[in-house]
Amino acid sequence: MSDTATASHEDGHASLIIDNKKLLMWLFLGSDCMFFGTLISTHLIYRKLYPESFEPTALFSLELTSFSTFILLMSSFLMALAVSAMHKGELKSFRRNVIGVIFFGLIFLGCQVYEFAHFVHEGLTLSTNTFGSTFYMMTGTHGVHVAIGVFWLICMYFYSHTGKMDAHESAIDVEVAGLYWHFVDIVWIVIFTAVYLIEFI
Amino acid sequence: MSEAEYHPLPVATESHKDSETEKYHAFVNLALGLAAITGIELVLVYLPFNTVFIFTVLLSLSLFKFIAVIAWFMHLIYDKLILTLAFGTGMAIATGTFIALGFLFSRGNVDMDAITGF
Repeated sequence: MSDTATASHEDGHASLIIDNKKLLMWLFLGSDCMFFGTLISTHLIYRKLYPESFEPTALFSLELTSFSTFILLMSSFLMALAVSAMHKGELKSFRRNVIGVIFFGLIFLGCQVYEFAHFVHEGLTLSTNTFGSTFYMMTGTHGVHVAIGVFWLICMYFYSHTGKMDAHESAIDVEVAGLYWHFVDIVWIVIFTAVYLIEFI
Repeated sequence: MSEAEYHPLPVATESHKDSETEKYHAFVNLALGLAAITGIELVLVYLPFNTVFIFTVLLSLSLFKFIAVIAWFMHLIYDKLILTLAFGTGMAIATGTFIALGFLFSRGNVDMDAITGF
């Protein structure tokens, strides 16, 4: 098949092609949904079964958690811009936005570490009661996801300086990393409402 | 790394750039909307309204944020249907599990005395 014919063939089927990495990431995110679904369900069920075991409103700082939520949402925005920049081939813009995402991710983790330290200081540990067990398990797992995302983006940032970035492949790689980061964000959206806000009404 | 090995990223076509610029505006608007909704949620829990009303509004706002991030930031509305199905299947199972567990472990169905581990 000639080059032209190959190109035509590729153009004709371009709309049918799904990148394997992207499809696998979406499947992984679907399975991660089930994982977080069970963690959140467990927390809420134990909260319903033992409402008197712990009163978290005295401990929760809604202002801090709202700030964390805002930070994570803005990091998602920057990640979307980073993906867009990569699709346009603008490497400098990509780097700028990724640095922003990493910075916001680290702020979020810092807030979580501060929150955990405060809770432990106040006597709520993993083994204090069912609330402590399910709360730390759920938010801790989410925190680990954020940490992995930050590490992934740091690697990607340094990789962008090696000059080995290929236009198509790298755009897909950045998009896949972006999907993961946005997922971490949507999980927090659910946790913020189901675990924190609900306690105050 | 030597210069010979370096392959700069090609410049995108004008039409591609236009579509990315359109997305940029959508992203900015969405980011502002999400920030505003988070602020509303924070204020809402302190307002002396009916609990059911606040609960419903919080749930709706959270759902909106959830769907908005998936649809625009995660590009799902610009992508193939199969990706929506791949993620939707996991979401459906997670939601189903949540609802089923909610019913199975309601106070009436659980022997509270039997669970004394904590």
